[in-house]
Amino acid sequence: MATIAKDIKHTAGGENKRTLLDMINTRDELTSQSGHYYGVTELSLRDSDPIKYERFYSKIHASVLAARESARYVAASPGSREMGEVLWGLATPEGDTLAVSAGFLSHTAIFPVAVRYMAKNQYDVNDGIEDGDVYAVSDGLTGGVPHPGDFYSFVPICIEGEVIAWAIGINHLMENGAPVAGSWATFSVDTFMDGLVCPPMRTGRKLKQESWWKAIWERRTRAATMNILDDKMRLAGCAMIHETTHKLIEEFGLDYYKRAIREVIEESRGMVVDNMKSTMVPGTYNGCAFRLVKYKGLQNVWAHADKNTLIHVRGSVEPNEKGIKIDAEGSSKWGYHSYNATPGGTDCAIFLGMINSFSHNTKVTAGIELAVQRNYPRGSIYNPDNEFTSNSNLWAQTVALNSIGFGAVSRGMFSRGYLEEAFTIDGNWGAFQGQGTTEDGSAYGFTNFEWLGGTGRGAWCYKDGEPLVWAAWSQMATIGDAEEFESTIPALFYLGRKLLPGFFGYGRFRGGPGNSAVHWCVEPGKHLALSRPNGGLSCTPSVGLGVSGAYPGPGSFMISARGTNLDELIAKGETPRDARELLEQHESGKLKIDNLEIWKTDCPELSLQNNDLFVDAAGSSGGWGDPLDREPQLVVNDLNQGVSTEYQFLSDMHGVVAEKNELGTWELDEKATMKKRADLRQLRLNESQPVAEWWKTERQMVQKTGFNEEVKEMYQQSLSFDKFRDEFCSFWQLNEDYMSEE
Amino acid sequence: MSEEFEVSKELIKQLVDGTIDDDNAERLLKLPRKDKNRFFNYIEVLQEKVSWNDKILLRLGDKLYVVAKPGGARETQCECGYSFGDYRTNWKLGCKIRTRKTLEEMSRVYTPAPAVPEPGWQEIREFFCPNCGTQHAVEVVAPGYPIVFEMLPDIDTFYRDYLDSPLDDESKDWYQDQSQKKTASWAQ
Repeated sequence: MATIAKDIKHTAGGENKRTLLDMINTRDELTSQSGHYYGVTELSLRDSDPIKYERFYSKIHASVLAARESARYVAASPGSREMGEVLWGLATPEGDTLAVSAGFLSHTAIFPVAVRYMAKNQYDVNDGIEDGDVYAVSDGLTGGVPHPGDFYSFVPICIEGEVIAWAIGINHLMENGAPVAGSWATFSVDTFMDGLVCPPMRTGRKLKQESWWKAIWERRTRAATMNILDDKMRLAGCAMIHETTHKLIEEFGLDYYKRAIREVIEESRGMVVDNMKSTMVPGTYNGCAFRLVKYKGLQNVWAHADKNTLIHVRGSVEPNEKGIKIDAEGSSKWGYHSYNATPGGTDCAIFLGMINSFSHNTKVTAGIELAVQRNYPRGSIYNPDNEFTSNSNLWAQTVALNSIGFGAVSRGMFSRGYLEEAFTIDGNWGAFQGQGTTEDGSAYGFTNFEWLGGTGRGAWCYKDGEPLVWAAWSQMATIGDAEEFESTIPALFYLGRKLLPGFFGYGRFRGGPGNSAVHWCVEPGKHLALSRPNGGLSCTPSVGLGVSGAYPGPGSFMISARGTNLDELIAKGETPRDARELLEQHESGKLKIDNLEIWKTDCPELSLQNNDLFVDAAGSSGGWGDPLDREPQLVVNDLNQGVSTEYQFLSDMHGVVAEKNELGTWELDEKATMKKRADLRQLRLNESQPVAEWWKTERQMVQKTGFNEEVKEMYQQSLSFDKFRDEFCSFWQLNEDYMSEE
Repeated sequence: MSEEFEVSKELIKQLVDGTIDDDNAERLLKLPRKDKNRFFNYIEVLQEKVSWNDKILLRLGDKLYVVAKPGGARETQCECGYSFGDYRTNWKLGCKIRTRKTLEEMSRVYTPAPAVPEPGWQEIREFFCPNCGTQHAVEVVAPGYPIVFEMLPDIDTFYRDYLDSPLDDESKDWYQDQSQKKTASWAQ
């Protein structure tokens, strides 16, 4: 660090220096007037000397990649080092991304939010922004952060008083100091319960944090050691990028740099739009999802939040000549719960699918943001008209909006014939978090990211989805080492960590199976308690629409088993390894449980004692195609390989008949299978009714608003947006003022 | 790799049939640019697969197509030949529907038990072809939710601006959702 520090350019800021806001206004005017980033209509540097241009970009890209690969090994928590829950990037003075490392790619979308906030609030004019300053950001509204558990370091890179770039580092904290311990503060009612929430604030100078900043981690979070390691990691990476960028400008010259960064972004914008046009089918794609927030009875201190809410996630996707438009109109309004989003945080989610789909063969820059038009209506859950909403669990529901957008891309590619790219998009992640105090009085907080790191991929349109290989939020899916989490959480040990049989969406091709772990509490000391941030919830699957006749993947769930006879089972070597085994052992009487609770929605903080068990299941994904079209032998293979264990369920789902031979191996009965399939098709027709008839009956229920309280409130909120009101009233043939007086 | 690169119809057929091997699928996934003529080759493969002669304009689902009918209509059609009518009307409105509203009914399609959606807040809707019983769509939605029109393609723009092959019967009316006409007729 010392060799870097001596080279830092101290910037006084001249009288005629343009402010950051001036620069942003110029950028916006040039871009909107021309339709091209920064008014760049010709890539003159690239076309005149492509080798120099690519060499320039390679150096930028190499610097952010090197930051990731080096800084994680300078100092880092297990979440950052093992699982790569990190990203580094370089942005223009206005915050537009120039390059990002591997990792959390879509966080590129938030860079401009924090920079624009600093510009509008005249940080540069009032306080000065100097080369090598360090800014901390973790606020959704002013920093675009998708949840306060994600923490950002911004380092300005200045030449003679002018900001010419920002180096940025991000990671997901192990603990962020909210009332609910962990890094996604479930049960937050407003932003004041979200933990350590920092609007952009200067915490260091000359690439060194101020002394007070360490005290913040120590006094305002429960995992200070981990968080300080990560803070050093982010800054170390930013320092590397800072040094490389100064050297780059020395080599290429400031004039070349200033022109080249505009061309890089415009080049990738054009490429992204071209990719969209060459792989999609224009039109209107609609999708929906629901999320139940079951807070009733759990929020007694804050009476205004003591209610259940059914969140409606509504998205339409329209490819057009400028790229793609994503419209969230019709989604719920914000509420007194932790699942509200902000425009920046929502961007961070929906860009998962967009970057993965359209930036694969070009430079990952702000070009993608220019190609995706977004509409988040004011007052909605994606753009609250209240500045104090909680955003701590934003990710849990915005991932569903991403699934709608990403799913539309997949459907478009299917229709276009690029079937190799078409698969079912789901978003059933999971994790758990909490706090403890050891016997000697040491307090700690933690997050276990495992089921966020790797989930099942949805079925392809030509083969089954794979387990564990996919995480929409990172290119490098990994669930991390069990031992790392055991060392992070002193009182919890794994009894099992495996795929959960049958836990996926069914179809012609099935989704990748989800995962399940059995966590065993051993001598917790004075206290151990955990909760779930609940990425997906089994009461309301992550996405509302299956693909081509298949079922969406089931949502996540968890089980707490408190007061057990585990010692007896351990002596016999018969402990459960996943959720299914635990339930089966309990049903058979082998595993005795004093207090068994199944959580299909948020679970409050659960205190665990010695030999208590916490079991979770997450990461399932949806199928593709009609289940009766599944190749019968694939069903038999699943039985023989333990992917599914319930013969009768499978037989009725797929119309497959099989028998076990003397070796215990399942064998297909082709003739009986053909008959069963014909019977099931006929049963479908016998048990169904024309939609016209169904509509008439259902309409009467709708006219009488015969929904439960939560569904009714959901419709009241969504109907306050014209687009959904038009659709709803048109579909059910209702008066335009339907439910508007209630 | 050149955009003129062609993916063989045999490989496309294997994709459609679900018989492609992993190596070939991965090779296609890793193409830096997609083969430009894929769509027309794809349509040829699909046209050879179906038993009827209506011209396929677009594939919407595994067994669901938008076709040009002899009289000039564009309709959504099942692979069995059953027509759901004008493609601008949500084809689901022409289906037969089975709903699962109770825990017991939902437990037949989700497992294990804790993974089953919650009745009251959610219901499962299965949409079948009235002729062959193919399950074309599944919705897991709140009670009273309007049936979702999953995709209304802008076919004229697609053929004209994306494929450089405009259709003869272009009209801006082709990209107008007509579903409300059907529900209005039901309300009479």
